[in-house]
Amino acid sequence: MTGWSHHLIIAPVLLPLAAGALLMLYDERRQFLKATINLASTFALVVISIRLAEVADTSATSVYLLGNWPAPLGIVLVLDRLSALMLVLTSFLASAALVFALARWHKAGAHFHTLFQFLLMGLNGAFLTGDLFNLFVFFEVMLAASYGLVLHGSGPLRVKAGLHYIAINLAASFLFLIGVSLIYGVTGTLNMADLAVRISGLAAGDRILLEIGAAVLGVAFLVKAGMWPLSNWLPNAYSVAAAPVAAVFALLSKVGIYVLLRLSLLVFGAHAGSSADFGSGLLIVGGMATIAFGMIGVIASQALGRLASYSVLVSSGTLLAAIGMSDAGVTAGALFYLVSSTITVGALFLLIELIERGQNPAADILAVTAEAFGDGDEEAVEEQVGVAFPGTLAILGVCFAICGLLLAGLPPLSGFIGKFALLAAVLTPAAGTDGGILSAAWLYTALLILSGLAALLSMLRFGIRTFWAPIEVVVPRVSLREIVPVVLLLLLTLGLTIQGGPVMRYMQATASSLHSPQQYVDGVLGAPRVQPQGAKAE
Amino acid sequence: MNGDVLLILIVVLPFVGSVLAATFRPNARNSEAWLAGGVALACLILAAIAYPAIVEHGAIRSESEWLPTLGLNFTLRMDGFAWLFSVLVSGFGFLVVLYARYYMSPHDPVPRFFAFLLAFMGAMLGMVISGNLVLLVIFWELTSIFSFLLIGYWHHNAGARDGARMALTITGIGGLGLLVGVLLIGHIVGSYDLDRVLAAGDQIREHDLYVPALILILLGTLTKSAQFPFHFWLPNAMAAPTPVSAYLHSATMVKAGVFLMARLWPVLSGTPEWFWIVGFAGMASLLVGAFFAIFQHDLKGLLAYSTISHLGLITMLLSLGSPLGAVAAIFHMINHATFKASLFMAAGIIDHETGTRDMRRLGGLFRYMPITATLAMVASAAMAGVPLLNGFLSKEMFFAEAIETHAKSVLDTSAPYVAVLASAFAVTYSLRFIHTVFFGPKPTGLERQPHEPPFWMRFPIQFLVLACLVVGTIPALTVGPFLHTAVISVLGPNTPFYSLAVWHGFTLPLLMSAVALVAGVVLYLLLNGYLNRSEAGPPFIRRLQAQRIFERVLVVLSWKWARSIEARLGTRRLQPQLRLLVVAAFIAALLPISLDDLSLTSLRISEIDAVFVLIWVSGICCAVSAAYQAKYHRLAALILLGGAGLSTCITFAWFSAPDLALTQLLVEIVTTVLLLLGLRWLPKRIEEEGPKTVSLGTRFRRVRDFGIAVAAGGGVGVLAFVAMTSPVPLETVASYYLEKAYVEGGGKNVVNVILVDFRGFDTLGEVSVLAVVALTVFALLRRFRPAADSIAVPDQQRMQNDFDEAEPDRKVGDTIADYLLVPAVIMQWAFPVIIVLATYLFLRGHDLPGGGFVAGIAMAAAFILQYMAAGTRWVEERLRILPVSWIGLGLLLAALTGMGAWLFGYPFLTTYSQYVELPTVGATPLATALLFDLGVLGIVVGATVLMLIALAHQSTRGLRSARVATEAEQEEA
Repeated sequence: MTGWSHHLIIAPVLLPLAAGALLMLYDERRQFLKATINLASTFALVVISIRLAEVADTSATSVYLLGNWPAPLGIVLVLDRLSALMLVLTSFLASAALVFALARWHKAGAHFHTLFQFLLMGLNGAFLTGDLFNLFVFFEVMLAASYGLVLHGSGPLRVKAGLHYIAINLAASFLFLIGVSLIYGVTGTLNMADLAVRISGLAAGDRILLEIGAAVLGVAFLVKAGMWPLSNWLPNAYSVAAAPVAAVFALLSKVGIYVLLRLSLLVFGAHAGSSADFGSGLLIVGGMATIAFGMIGVIASQALGRLASYSVLVSSGTLLAAIGMSDAGVTAGALFYLVSSTITVGALFLLIELIERGQNPAADILAVTAEAFGDGDEEAVEEQVGVAFPGTLAILGVCFAICGLLLAGLPPLSGFIGKFALLAAVLTPAAGTDGGILSAAWLYTALLILSGLAALLSMLRFGIRTFWAPIEVVVPRVSLREIVPVVLLLLLTLGLTIQGGPVMRYMQATASSLHSPQQYVDGVLGAPRVQPQGAKAE
Repeated sequence: MNGDVLLILIVVLPFVGSVLAATFRPNARNSEAWLAGGVALACLILAAIAYPAIVEHGAIRSESEWLPTLGLNFTLRMDGFAWLFSVLVSGFGFLVVLYARYYMSPHDPVPRFFAFLLAFMGAMLGMVISGNLVLLVIFWELTSIFSFLLIGYWHHNAGARDGARMALTITGIGGLGLLVGVLLIGHIVGSYDLDRVLAAGDQIREHDLYVPALILILLGTLTKSAQFPFHFWLPNAMAAPTPVSAYLHSATMVKAGVFLMARLWPVLSGTPEWFWIVGFAGMASLLVGAFFAIFQHDLKGLLAYSTISHLGLITMLLSLGSPLGAVAAIFHMINHATFKASLFMAAGIIDHETGTRDMRRLGGLFRYMPITATLAMVASAAMAGVPLLNGFLSKEMFFAEAIETHAKSVLDTSAPYVAVLASAFAVTYSLRFIHTVFFGPKPTGLERQPHEPPFWMRFPIQFLVLACLVVGTIPALTVGPFLHTAVISVLGPNTPFYSLAVWHGFTLPLLMSAVALVAGVVLYLLLNGYLNRSEAGPPFIRRLQAQRIFERVLVVLSWKWARSIEARLGTRRLQPQLRLLVVAAFIAALLPISLDDLSLTSLRISEIDAVFVLIWVSGICCAVSAAYQAKYHRLAALILLGGAGLSTCITFAWFSAPDLALTQLLVEIVTTVLLLLGLRWLPKRIEEEGPKTVSLGTRFRRVRDFGIAVAAGGGVGVLAFVAMTSPVPLETVASYYLEKAYVEGGGKNVVNVILVDFRGFDTLGEVSVLAVVALTVFALLRRFRPAADSIAVPDQQRMQNDFDEAEPDRKVGDTIADYLLVPAVIMQWAFPVIIVLATYLFLRGHDLPGGGFVAGIAMAAAFILQYMAAGTRWVEERLRILPVSWIGLGLLLAALTGMGAWLFGYPFLTTYSQYVELPTVGATPLATALLFDLGVLGIVVGATVLMLIALAHQSTRGLRSARVATEAEQEEA
């Protein structure tokens, strides 16, 4: 990429930043204008991220030197297949959640649109950055916006769970800082690629400090990813958050996964000497414990919101253990699974609100119109009369069933393919071993299957209770704006299924470049500065 | 037609039909039937077209790429066996559609029914012609799912819901097992392709993973075919509409299990494990199914148990590992489908005409519906294994196989006896079916007068019964060649010689048949009286219902265990979560440490400065006291926290970082003030009541938490010490920054150059955080209503007000105005001074301590002073404050400055700096970074002031709520 198109790499950060800033200039009463700006920015991100994915898939690692400072010294943004993949996922899920929110949720509190844009900025920045401290900064942007969004809609339940969420994540941020400081103190660099180079030359004593730093840093990411037993905040916060917020949060827990995947393969790859595969055993054990805990939670859930939240944990655990196995085939499967499960849970969070609206019409109105109990200076809520088309319940039912299939990993949709790809890779021993299957692989297989079964049983129970045997049939009022995003997300999983071949090829290419990070390192450290006009480029 | 297209069409057509069917109007019974029937017929014709090619080449294949890297392609492969099943599935599909047209009530929402039925047909066809084992599993699971939807079609019945759920749970578990089993096969063979797998029999049987793979695959097949001990879902699935029972639960879906066992028979069979597991399940199902069938009162229940039994027979035949057994098994699959489907349809007609399926209430129907009765009788005779009907032929083959010795074991020795016994039971229940329903006294208490069904409703039964007869009398001429094609495709060169003749002479199997017939009749005569009086279910073990056990297990698992484990392993409270986090971080940090590698730099006392130590000791004291007082005295804790911050501040100054010191100082001041403002609205601490006795548990918890806190805090301290005393890495970015700050960054203040240039992107992010936090605080507090116990006016204020009221010449608020007079004036006058100071700090930032951040905080402090001096109302009446806009503009300015570099072809945030000679001011550094810094200033001021306003407005709100509360009280009084 050359010329102006090179700046496209930074667009996923700058566009939401500018949009968010612009939104602040307009008064809360100009909801339509705000919604338009928000939508325009989010949809533009879809286009940009797809374009970036194309670029990432064809060319080598693209590097953007901020301030034109050379690589280990300034901050870099790095676009490779993995970051492009996460950008695409983010933009799609965000678009769906936003359209959904525009039906009514965006009016349930102040500054929804601004916070939403900053959340996207934080997410995109975290996926793009190649600098450890800059990662911290974008984590904070993302978290700060998520603090606002988790409280969006207010109400005692939300505030209580939201404040817990803030407290835990602030504590995790401290750990993040401690970890980064230690790593910087030992290696003298914050650039991830540079870190990967320097780690091999560390003295034994320094190596311990670095590993301590990495361990503390890892705990911070594990909190974010929701590894048991650090995951208790997650079901509580996710299940009470407003539906579109919860849908985007499904992605938030994947940020922790993303960073662990990136750093463990980049920094603690085979070149890291005695630090190679640092912490991978812990990831496997912790991941499996998380699957088990999430699975139990899924079965025990008495409300759909908690079921979906525990599904997030199951998905996290599956991915953590897969990262711990550090095998290219497993990583490829895990990436497919990541995309599929994130979309699934996102769609499910949106769907749940629509379904539960039918069960108790008073509940959500209470949340949304809490506004009405406020002061006189707050705008009155406009009654949003949805288009109640006759087949509402049927469509909701079909969507719910599809979500169930996806969660349980039953065919024919992408949930199955993700699980199949993971299992096929796990049960295929890496070259060089004696061909047997490790006990960890057996356990993982069993947990993956059992967690699918747990999801199946639980979704069956809720589905039958809701659609087949309702105590009183209340057809929920659902506007087109709310159901279309859900349907589109589910169609996306269908697309992932049908286009499984190309998608899987992309994932495998991603995995193989992650497992041989030399290209990434060379790309970052060798990125040329822009020379002053007239002078020739190096 | 091309084989490729043909196979794909066979799979795709039903699904297309399904989608179409779903779009019809609710009462479009006829058009639905035309559509579905047409699709089924089309598939049948397609299969017929394929037959010559299959006979000629053995199999036709179609392969389209899907997930080639994972070895999963959309491979379809139709050989003789798959062809046979395709014909069964599409042919029966056609007949069932025809039947369902008349069976379903005009008021039923049939689009759903036919859509599911067609989708099921597609899944089943896909399953039988899958050429890839994983693809087979996919279609396999789809059949389970559509079976679930069809069983639950009348979901207003509790029975239908429970039956559907159980069926899906059991077959779903089996399907997941099958998936893993197939993956293991793929692991052994290196491919999921059916042809490759079928060619790798020896390799599979000799592999270490053979047993796990076998067990998992059998878990799938035995659950699907409702074999003991997973048989119990099938009788419960009878809550489905009868066409579904006839189609899925007798003719096709339940055959999927035995189909797959036959499919993989060349690969998996012939080992002791296969023989024992499959043989045991088959024999148990054969016997248990037949025995239970006798004691059912529900017509469909009887047929369901009979299905279990007949599938058991097929399973047992497959377990033997002899080619002849496999031939018999395949033959019986066809025969069973034929007579059982017709019986189900007959049962449906009876149910339809009389309104009941309870055999105790039925009787003498022959006089009302002689044709249906005759057809049912012939079909029952086939089920019982009466000669000249198709059931007899395969049963004879079964008997012949049962006598043979295959593996010396109890199972094999008992086989002939079990076979005869089960056969006798089959005669008994068949006889009962016919006798109680069609003969005897007229039924009483029926809702309507039964009569013959419409011709086309009866037609499928007629056709099938005719098939039973024809196959039973001239098997070699009718089914023979097709069966042979199927058998060859399974057994290949091992195909044995077999004869389909009706008469083999006086043989042992014939004797066994005769014994079974007589014994069955005698048993029926003996039991007849008892059966009409008893409850449903076999004697003695009637209460022992697998279904009950299953439901009990589910409840215990999901309700009791899962919930208690969840409660034990999880928590919703914050404290334990934070404790876990600290402990986790501590342990994680401990793990990499190996003692021999760690070297603490020894501390040299001479290097320690006493004053510096004193600062730190007091700082530490402040921090510890703040933690100690946090619960008991918030104000004190806050002030102490300020003390700790101050010592940090001095440290920065001590180590020649004036910039940091300045920033830290201002941040300390502003945050402390904001926190103090917020303190007012926190709820009161709950006072402890009663004597202060601390329980042992509490004491332990406190000691433990104290220990954790000391360990974690100490750990961080040690880490910091080690990190700071260990030698600095040779090449760090820091040295580079020092070098380049002025040369390339254009500033002498390195800290500032780092903030706005080297790492300006971080700064942009951090100020965004500040902006977002301010918005969040605002959004949260906008809704916040002070807690009831903090609304009350503080004592101090109350006393002042009382004093003001008591004195005649004073107004309320005078006292506070009096004693704040001097400070207030100073504070108001300080406003312009501080603004100028802030501007100064801002401008000199690039070269000397200062910068946008510090200037912003300083400016915010000016606003805070105004609010404090004169109160919220007074300030807001005089100053138009738009903090949100300031933030927005600041961010835009910063971002645009960064983008400015694009115009010159440089990346975002590339700076340009120059000194400009200004009149009176002199040489002024003018870097683009200055504009960026201005944006930062806007954001910092805006954010701080926004938080201030959010807090300040609480007081006006608090007063209002207090007023509302008093008014309410007065009204009540």
